[in-house]
Amino acid sequence: MMLRKQIAIHALLILISVVMLTPIYWVVKTSVTGENLFSYPPTIIPRDPNLFYYVEAWYTVSFVRLFSNSLVIATLVVVVNLLLNAMAGYALTKQFRGKALVLSFLLMSMMIPFHATIIPAYLLTAKLGLLDSKLGIALPALSHIVCILLFKSNFEAVPSSLVQAARLDGLSEWQILTRIMMPLSKPAVATNIILSFIWSWNEFLWPLIVVRSPDQQTMPLGLVSFLASFEDTTGSLYAFCVLVVLPSMLVFLLAQKDFIRGLTSGATKG
Amino acid sequence: MTRLFRLKRNRELAFVWALLIPALIIYLFYRVIPLLWNVVLSFSFWAPGKPLEFAGLYHYEEMVFFDDGFWIALKNTGVFMLATPVAISLALALALLVDQKIRGRNIYRTLIFLPYPMMVVAVGIVWRWLYNDSVGLINYGLRTFGIISEPIAFLESYRFAMISVMAAAIWQIVGFFMIIILTGLQNIPPHLHEAALIDGARAHHRFWRITLPLLRPSLFLCVILGVIASFTSFDLIYTMTGGGPGRETELLITYIYKASFTLSQFDYAAAMTVVMFALFLTLATIANRLSGGDAGKVDITD
Repeated sequence: MMLRKQIAIHALLILISVVMLTPIYWVVKTSVTGENLFSYPPTIIPRDPNLFYYVEAWYTVSFVRLFSNSLVIATLVVVVNLLLNAMAGYALTKQFRGKALVLSFLLMSMMIPFHATIIPAYLLTAKLGLLDSKLGIALPALSHIVCILLFKSNFEAVPSSLVQAARLDGLSEWQILTRIMMPLSKPAVATNIILSFIWSWNEFLWPLIVVRSPDQQTMPLGLVSFLASFEDTTGSLYAFCVLVVLPSMLVFLLAQKDFIRGLTSGATKG
Repeated sequence: MTRLFRLKRNRELAFVWALLIPALIIYLFYRVIPLLWNVVLSFSFWAPGKPLEFAGLYHYEEMVFFDDGFWIALKNTGVFMLATPVAISLALALALLVDQKIRGRNIYRTLIFLPYPMMVVAVGIVWRWLYNDSVGLINYGLRTFGIISEPIAFLESYRFAMISVMAAAIWQIVGFFMIIILTGLQNIPPHLHEAALIDGARAHHRFWRITLPLLRPSLFLCVILGVIASFTSFDLIYTMTGGGPGRETELLITYIYKASFTLSQFDYAAAMTVVMFALFLTLATIANRLSGGDAGKVDITD
């Protein structure tokens, strides 16, 4: 490719990246300086950054409780998702009567956005006595159909000779799933972990409906009630935002290679 | 021998169902049953603690003939949906750029995708403050470049509130669309382009005749995801405008939330949910047809 064209593309992409990163830069900058909350015009480069607002956010809200609530729920969601989705995905690689029915049931359920079910889901959770509990928050997210289909297509890519050999060696079906299939489907496992973690961590509407007591609040609920009681003119709000966003960003960045490979290998063929 | 065989078959069948059932139960209880329950509620008078009574079309008549709020929310949801074609066009351009053989393209991909995994509640709070009229960065930028002379309170203005929220939504989702389209681009067999090159086809011909038609499934997957987003963008509205000013940014989902969980009109809200779901299904089906029947096709063939 011609050098001029190369440079033009880089220039364009750098410009776009700057635009995309500006909001992120701005919130990080404000969280370490508290500048431009009251003063105008704002400064572009932070002057003497410090962690004051982080400390303030830490002490203003019961940060540890919010964080541990979110983390417990997300961990539950991720573990159960891996288990249920891998199991269902493996079952769907087999031939059995009713398979077409199960597949169409899953595809139909996939077309029902969770937001279209909130009222009965709330009433149902109330009937189960799980309102205002971590299990109640986690329950609807314990399995994701996209991830089942992802596991299915990854498992199908495992050479059948390998499975035959394992069977001859006397491995049970369950052992084939856990010792052969799972280790050979790392991208699907990674994608599963990332998606279910991020979805659980970021979920707002459902906890908003289900949670009553401050004890059970998750991070986004804490963030919103913080905004409601302190308005948006304190640096600690933005420090709080950074802390809230950090875990899902880290999870994504750590596993993004596998994640993008996983997504491209199965879920969105087209 | 046949009995032994059948025994083995049955054991296998039991095993398969044992693997499937836990996941199926989740979907039964948190997708399918709620959907049907919504339909039942929508034809009933019901409030917590009261018996269910048949109401016929009462709620639907109320919605269509007497509730301005519903129509406003419906219209706004339609407007919000217009963010999707904008986001897709941008994502297509970005995908073509980061598909070029240049150094560091993975870094650009990551940077552009970065907003997607962020918590929407935090995104809403940050953007709300970027739009702030006295100290917000956006007003500062526009004033510095002389585009406006007086600061604008974007989120409190009837003219700009909706478009401002849409811009934030586009910022967050464009990287995700880019990755989907990029996947589609990489699935186009390179020999098609090579053959076209040999035949002397120009770049824009190759784009319109090869790239775009073959990208159709990926593009329509983005359309469907965009439609879903416009029916589910609760968090962004809740944190940025709360539906205001007036009802300028009230979407169906925020209106349903208010009707059910603020006003306890569960039966009426259920009727609106049924309408919302029917609309979503119609749009998704149309998009799927237009894409040639395999928008975001998930490979389920055996």
